[in-house]
Amino acid sequence: MVDEPTPHTQPPPDAEDVPEPVAIEEVYAATPAGAPTHDSTHGGTEDGTDAAKADQQATRAAAVEAMRRRSAELFGVRADPDSTEAERYTAREELVHLHLPLVEHCARRFRNRGEPFEDLVQVGTIGLLKSIDRFDSERGVEFSTYATPTIIGEIKRHFRDKGWAIRVPRRLQELRMQITSTTAELTQQLGRSPTPRELAESIGCTVEEIVEGLESGNAYSTLSLDAGDDSDDGAATMLDAIGVEDESIAQVEVRESIKPLLAGLEPREKKILLLRFFRNMTQSQIAEEIGVSQMHVSRLLTRTLTQLREGLEDQG
Amino acid sequence: MTVTAAPAGRPDVELRLPADGAYVSVLRTATAGLAARLDFTLDDIEDLRMCVGEASAIVLAQADQGADLTAAFWLRPDSLTVTVAAGAADPQRPDEDDFAWQVLTTLASDASVSVEPGEVKVTLAVAATPLGAGR
Repeated sequence: MVDEPTPHTQPPPDAEDVPEPVAIEEVYAATPAGAPTHDSTHGGTEDGTDAAKADQQATRAAAVEAMRRRSAELFGVRADPDSTEAERYTAREELVHLHLPLVEHCARRFRNRGEPFEDLVQVGTIGLLKSIDRFDSERGVEFSTYATPTIIGEIKRHFRDKGWAIRVPRRLQELRMQITSTTAELTQQLGRSPTPRELAESIGCTVEEIVEGLESGNAYSTLSLDAGDDSDDGAATMLDAIGVEDESIAQVEVRESIKPLLAGLEPREKKILLLRFFRNMTQSQIAEEIGVSQMHVSRLLTRTLTQLREGLEDQG
Repeated sequence: MTVTAAPAGRPDVELRLPADGAYVSVLRTATAGLAARLDFTLDDIEDLRMCVGEASAIVLAQADQGADLTAAFWLRPDSLTVTVAAGAADPQRPDEDDFAWQVLTTLASDASVSVEPGEVKVTLAVAATPLGAGR
């Protein structure tokens, strides 16, 4: 491990980890326990009217306010020297549930990076637990402001420590990330993928280091080719996405060419075909329905089918 | 399968490895390093890396036990030609539908296989994207 001592004891992590402020309303509101994602707040009902929107906003704000109050209350319980151990424990429990949407929000920002969303929520929750244990409401900062860097830090640490299938020195991990972002930039600028020399000039290192960095990237993921793309709904793997031959498409032509032939049939023959192949009736049932003998139905069917077959072959 | 001849003359770089899948990554890395020095773009380098890997797959499938895998590189400013060869007692031409062959012919600007008693050899060339190109 080439890691510097990780900030286990003292959050907030290094400055680069501090993310843009989180819009609390976005995170907490309209996410009643169990509601899947806050993405759904975008779609949903499009009543459109300003009044409805304002109304929605008001309910949201109220919900957030209630959450805030409850959160402060619970932190109060935890800070109160008179609280019993059991009370503290219950308060902590409730705080975790209260702030879980924040973890999900943070984890969602790291989606599609090859790690299952659930895993990210798990490690993020560790960050949340740490923040709850260390939060000091006396300081007068919002809990989410305090917790977000810790949660994000925990998720980033997960990527750093677990994401790489082979342990790669941190210097290379960082170079690798730099290469990735610079490559994207240069590709835009140049209209083609950059050369290692161009990357080296842009990053300010040697071509050798770039080559080394690129090589280390191959150690990042040893996931199966069949691994899913890890969007929220998960599950779908590449094999699921590979198509199979669709027989119905092959039959489109046959169906089209048989149409005029069917149209040319006599009504009674048509009816027999319908009963036999679409209602799945037996020949004796058809016989009863039309009022002829089963033998007769059999003969008629055979004749009709032969006729259709010959018709198709003539066309072909 | 067209027959690509390796450029005449001595190769600029030669590499001999045990004919074992475990060493293919060394070959791939060496190839990438050479291409980086030729100022190939990242995409070209990635293509080359895959080509060499697939060429090795074709060659290794036929290689004799304990044989050597030899790679030779001809470096030109605008292209890199590689031959990957191994000793094989009774080599067969790879199937054109073979996955490795499909990948190879798709990525390389030119690729060919030669089989003679005692050796199987894949020759491939990847041309560099002109740096002025794009857009």
